[in-house]
Amino acid sequence: MSERSARRRADGIDDATTAPPPGADQLSEADAAYLAGLAPATPTAYHRQNPLTKATAATMATLGAFVLGGYVGPLAILVLGVVPGAIVAGLLGRLVRLAALISLPIAVSVALVSVFTRAGETVLFVIGPFDATLEGVDFAAQIIVRLFVIAMALGLFGLTTDPRALVVDLERRGVPPRVAFAAAATLETIPAMIERAQTIQAAQRARGLDTEGSLGARVRGVMPLVGPVILSSLTEVEERSLALEVRAFGRPGRRHLLWTLPDSGRQRLVRWLLVGLFLAVAVGRVSGSLPAPL
Amino acid sequence: MSGSFIRVLIGVVAALAVIVLGLASVGALDPTVDPDTFLIAGSNQFALIVAIALLVGFVAYALVEYLQTRRLDSITRQFDTRTIVLIPIAIAINIVLGQTVGTALKMPVYMDSIGTILVGVLAGPIPGALTGLLANLIWTFVLSGTPFGSPYAWPFAIVAAEIGLLAGIFGYYGFFRSRPNTPTVPLVLGAAVAIGVLASLAYFGILPAYLKGALIGSDLATVEPFFIAIAVIIGIAVVLTAILLVVYLFLRRDLGVAYIVVGGAICGVVSALISAPISAVVFGGVTGSGTDILVASFQQAGADLQTAVLQQGLISDPIDKTLTYIVVFALLGTLSRRFTARFPQGERAVGTAEG
Repeated sequence: MSERSARRRADGIDDATTAPPPGADQLSEADAAYLAGLAPATPTAYHRQNPLTKATAATMATLGAFVLGGYVGPLAILVLGVVPGAIVAGLLGRLVRLAALISLPIAVSVALVSVFTRAGETVLFVIGPFDATLEGVDFAAQIIVRLFVIAMALGLFGLTTDPRALVVDLERRGVPPRVAFAAAATLETIPAMIERAQTIQAAQRARGLDTEGSLGARVRGVMPLVGPVILSSLTEVEERSLALEVRAFGRPGRRHLLWTLPDSGRQRLVRWLLVGLFLAVAVGRVSGSLPAPL
Repeated sequence: MSGSFIRVLIGVVAALAVIVLGLASVGALDPTVDPDTFLIAGSNQFALIVAIALLVGFVAYALVEYLQTRRLDSITRQFDTRTIVLIPIAIAINIVLGQTVGTALKMPVYMDSIGTILVGVLAGPIPGALTGLLANLIWTFVLSGTPFGSPYAWPFAIVAAEIGLLAGIFGYYGFFRSRPNTPTVPLVLGAAVAIGVLASLAYFGILPAYLKGALIGSDLATVEPFFIAIAVIIGIAVVLTAILLVVYLFLRRDLGVAYIVVGGAICGVVSALISAPISAVVFGGVTGSGTDILVASFQQAGADLQTAVLQQGLISDPIDKTLTYIVVFALLGTLSRRFTARFPQGERAVGTAEG
């Protein structure tokens, strides 16, 4: 039994929530244990939802916050949709911190750009050549609320979903295996590339490259870093494609997935309801039958 | 007549038919310049119709190929194993560089499309577009629980797809090929054509956004002096680029650089036109990177949000994309021909002779 599955057992995670994959009875005990270890940790009911359900919820919340506009619509989505999910998942505090961290830099930009430079009638106060207008504050606040709701919705999805689970589930639903491979491989490639960049940075600094200090020095330091990182990553393409080819990657047809994620008719209904709700709101907004954003 | 000619013909006819039908159904496009937004009122409708037409043309092309051969070889051929392996690496290059340059260094360029352009050039327009699309979707959805994720990347997926598509088309026509030891006559002709394209791109594509749709030489009385100053600065920058290009061309005698600069500038203007409405409507015109300061100054000078974002994009994007094209060109020159020629479009795009 692998260390990971042992830890998951210790956490009291019930492997029965993962549907037994087809052909599981032909696997050896060690292989079955390894497969079970691949399934993502599912400590709460929200984690156990199918990845597509969580992705649909996050996407519809994002699009809904954008289409509704104003304050009431996005905040309603946040309070009625995202926060209950986060409470069920036991992640509310962590999610708020994450969303605040992600949306803070862009929120500062929004505030500075819109408050001081957006044209408006009501001037609140003046700093040098910049006058802060009520219209600017209103606009900036709306955008910040929207960005925060988007960060919360997608953050909840990200914190409760193993990215591999999403990719495998999408492949089971008919996404071409090659696209699924590209998505899954990106996950492994980014940390590897950052590690490689750090190694190369250390090597270049040992040769006297200035990576701190003034902006000019940092800009001059970009190329000696970027060039080797990209070139050494590209040389891997050869080895990897050969390795995949000898493992029948180019074989046409579908793959037999040993890892199936549970789904239910109720979840399918929820997904379609969410999409329908969003479409209704979008049509209402475009046709003008919904009241103006508050 | 060969089968591929019929396919392309039907695709083009279908796209043109959609454009004609679309224009007829929305009625006459309003060609006047809106006094508040300085944007041409019909241009957004026209852009939408063209986008739908391109999609219909592509579907028609694929359908005819399927009916002719029961396969989609000309499309699937662009997705061999090597390309599929390159795509995740390209996406990682996009994300890692985009995060460091755009967000950490706070420079008014993005540098988040090197990988997309690389795939477009080496594998073809469709893998390029798919790489761009996937990169932004993965950045948001697959990486959202990791420190590299960004919930604000996915609305720009369509822009990234356009960048990959254009790079693939430019690659197909050999824009990224190194042309060492060009004889003097083609070099002078090529430089003249490149400068002509750059000048008309600036004159018709970039400057009108700052001058309320007017062109230089016409009545500029209503334009703020600030924007006239910006337009003059852009004009000087274009002239400087042209001079640098000519000097470089005659020092290195490699006409390939002229193709790269022209291609990058075209890609930049198109990207700016597509991404400006998205950025303005979804994010209030800011991205949290170094470009925001430009938006702020244009808005302060009296432009409304969408115009300010477009004006910012028309400065940042051509610079960014031209730099990116130059980086990719330099990379392709460093890679061995043995490596590049094994990609579906590699031999056509880069050639077989070592530069």
